[in-house]
Formats: sequence, C-alpha cells, structure tokens
Amino acid sequence: MSYPESFSYTKDHEWVNFEDSSEAIIGITDYALEQLGDVVFLELPEVGSEFAAGDSFGTVESTKTVSDLYMPITGKVTAINSKIADNLEKLADDPYDAGWLIKISFNEKDGELLSSNEYEEFIKTQE
Amino acid sequence: MTLKKTPLHDRHVALKAKMVDFGGWSMPAQYEHGVISEHRCVRTKAGLFDVSHMGEIMVTGPGALGLLQKLTTNNLDRLSIGKGHYTTMLYPSGGIVDDLILYQVDDHTYLLCVNAANIDKDFQWIFDHKEDFEVEIDNQSSEWGQLALQGPKSPEVIAEVFPQAKTLLQDLPYMGIQLIPDTQDLVYCARTGYTGEKGYELYIRPSMLPTVWDSLLELGAKEGLQPIGLGARDTLRLEASLLLYGQDISQEVNPLEAGIKFAVKINEKDFIGKDALLQASEQGIERKLVGFLMQDPGIPRMGMDLYKDGQKCGQVTSGSYLPTLDQPGGMALVSRQIALDDVVEIDVRGKRKLAKVTKRPLYSARVK
Repeated sequence: MSYPESFSYTKDHEWVNFEDSSEAIIGITDYALEQLGDVVFLELPEVGSEFAAGDSFGTVESTKTVSDLYMPITGKVTAINSKIADNLEKLADDPYDAGWLIKISFNEKDGELLSSNEYEEFIKTQE
Repeated sequence: MTLKKTPLHDRHVALKAKMVDFGGWSMPAQYEHGVISEHRCVRTKAGLFDVSHMGEIMVTGPGALGLLQKLTTNNLDRLSIGKGHYTTMLYPSGGIVDDLILYQVDDHTYLLCVNAANIDKDFQWIFDHKEDFEVEIDNQSSEWGQLALQGPKSPEVIAEVFPQAKTLLQDLPYMGIQLIPDTQDLVYCARTGYTGEKGYELYIRPSMLPTVWDSLLELGAKEGLQPIGLGARDTLRLEASLLLYGQDISQEVNPLEAGIKFAVKINEKDFIGKDALLQASEQGIERKLVGFLMQDPGIPRMGMDLYKDGQKCGQVTSGSYLPTLDQPGGMALVSRQIALDDVVEIDVRGKRKLAKVTKRPLYSARVK
C-alpha cells in the first residue's frame, strides 16, 4: 500500500491533494479501500455543494458495509469524478489519480490533516 | 469472549483471509481476490467453503421418526436412507425455531444440519419434546467439520479427491447423502448447498478436515477451484433467494409468510405449529417475503423501510449488490397487498430509491 508524500490525509482515510492555495482534489486511501473490500456503490455530492470540515459529502459502499466520506477541510465542490462511479473497480487500482472523487475550492486548511508519515503511523494503530 | 476456531483457521489466515466474528466463530469473510471475484468463481467454476461452524445434531432410535415428524414441517415418510430434505421446526405460534436440512442416514438415524447460531436452542427444543419417544439426541456439532464444494465444476473436483467414489458421488441425486467408502474416517457427502449452484456438502471429522481441504484445493486448482469466504456465500445465497435465519426468517415469521410452503406438508401430517399455520392460512397471511431488484442506484440493507404510494409497506430483510445480476437487490417482508412487478420505494439512509418486486429466485438456480 502506498501513500503519496505530497498529499495530506485524515483519520477517516481521505486524502487531499492541494493543487494550489484555493483548489484541492479529494479521494480515499489504499488502506480504506483495502478495509472496504469490493466497492459496489459510490454516492457523490452535486457540484456547487458546500461542506464544512468533517461533514459527510457522500458514501462509499462495499459488498458488506457502507461508510461516509468526510470533508477533510471546509470547501465547495467544483467537480466530481463521474467516470469513477461507473467503473468502481478502477477505484482500488488507482486510488490517487484516476480514482479521485471530488475537486473543491477552499479558503483555508481548517481540518485536522496528517502528513503521509503521520497517516502511516496512524493506520498502524488501527490494526 | 474468545472466538471459536474451525480446524482450518490457520489455513485461512495463511491464505490471507479477512477473518470476522460470525456468531462467535472466527470465520473467513473473504480471501485475497474479494467477494465479487469469489462469487463469480462459484458461478462459473467452483468454490470451497469452510462451513464447520454449522451444527450437526444426530437423532437415533426407534422413536426418531415419530419425534421428528412432530417437530418438523416436512414429511419424513417421503425420505429413505440416503435422502434428505429442507424443513423447518416451528413454535406453536407458527414462528420458526430454525430451518435445517434433515437427512436419513440409516435405519432410525437422522442427521440434522442446523444453523450455527441456533445449535444450543435447537438441541434444547428437540430434547424438551422427547417425552416417551425412544430416541437418543446427540449434539455432535463439535465432532464434525463441514466443507461446501459449490459450482458447475464441483462434480469433476469431487471425483479427483475421492476417485474410489466417482460414480457414486456424480450420480448422487439432489438432496441425496452417502458415506464415502474407503476414507480414513467417516465422510458423509450430500448433494446440497447454499449458493444456487450444483455442489456438495461434506461432513468430515475435524482431524481429517485439513487433509480433505488441502486435497480439494490442490486437485481442484486445474478446474479453477478457489477458497470462498462468507461474504460471497451471502451474495450467492441471496441471488438464489435462499433464506438466512435471523434476517429473512425468525421466531416472528412463519413459513407460509416466508414462501417456503414446499417444506410444510400441512395436509400429510401433524406437527408443532400446524394449528397456527392452518389459522393463518384460513385468514390469509398478512405479510410475505418477496424478492426485489433496485431500479435506482443505491444498496439496500437489512432493516430499511419500504413504501408504496407513500405508505410504509415493509422492511428489507437482506440486501446487497448482487454480482451475477450486476445490480443491487434482496428480499423484503412486505404487506400482502404488494404484488409481483410492483414498484416500491426503499428508504436508503433518508433517500427514497425505486425498487421492483421480482420473482424469487432472483437468479435462476442450476442446482439439480
């Protein structure tokens, strides 16, 4: 399992790739996908929706469980990956690139974010 | 509480299974390739399940037939040595104590394969009704392991592992059971399963279980045989609309509501719960268990409410993404007004999603 160093992470297993000071891409980590098993349904928000850090912006379901997707930081959805919703098997294959979920615009990094090292340490405590 | 382990526990871990707590047992939910891949493997090739958590109760003696006729809804007069059938035990209310497969394995000797979570309850229930019947009731659950070999390639695989019984096993009729000759200990092989595919269930002594498991995986590999976890067992049985006790049926549901009238020979015999069923039948049942497939995206789960024309009309008892149908669906207990092909709404976490009431089984079984 890998966790790109330039990304930030949450304890709820989302990743954030900050493209610049106002745009970011969000997805879920290898670890989360490993835990979920086969993903069979993904519910993403409408473009234009606004969420506070920690809000649920959608759900991801595997054959056995459903999990909420949480906003790492406060922001407004500017795009959703509609391609991935129809090719869910790609999510596990390429979670950090083709498997992105939403793009947002934001003002500040107000959530509790972890570096890739911190996140790897965190998931060790989860096992 | 420590989880109970089957004799194959270490093998599951070595095969990188995700182990989960299943009714007090540590069982493999899935192996490396995941639920969907395992599900497809059983539908197209063959899969091997460790189902050693299932219970085995042996009822023997001259009074066994009489006691079991009284306790179960199917008619044991239809059995002979080497045959089994699906049946239920009922409370006087008509609610279900358990659903089980009952085999006649010898003269006055019956093997009851019962749900893991119900072993103690079932044993006690049978014991409490023993009265003057001349029987021995033996809970042998810890003396038997159980493997399920399921899928269209199962006959080829079983012949590889038990070549001495090739013809016997390949000719075994659906719901038949045979002792496999010339094995180091007793092995019963039944032509049954819980997947909607052709297959076998093997009752094996725990000491011999690892050897048989290893041989099956080794010799079955060329037919594409893989180990399958409980996750795929659930999606397979759900597509085949086979019931799960504790979800689709329970003490609160009678077999007429559950749509398993074929296991209730109400005109042929007396049994505990018959009066309640006759009354329910006369009045017309209020609820029924139906299959459904989702028309909107969203995964139905147990306990979600169903609505028809804005009125609550039932509850999902089992739901999942169904890999062979590539569509979510499941079973629901609904009011009797709901008809086949009706479109209903399911409350999926606050959002109403459309689903269509669909004939059971959702996936046409090829078991025979």
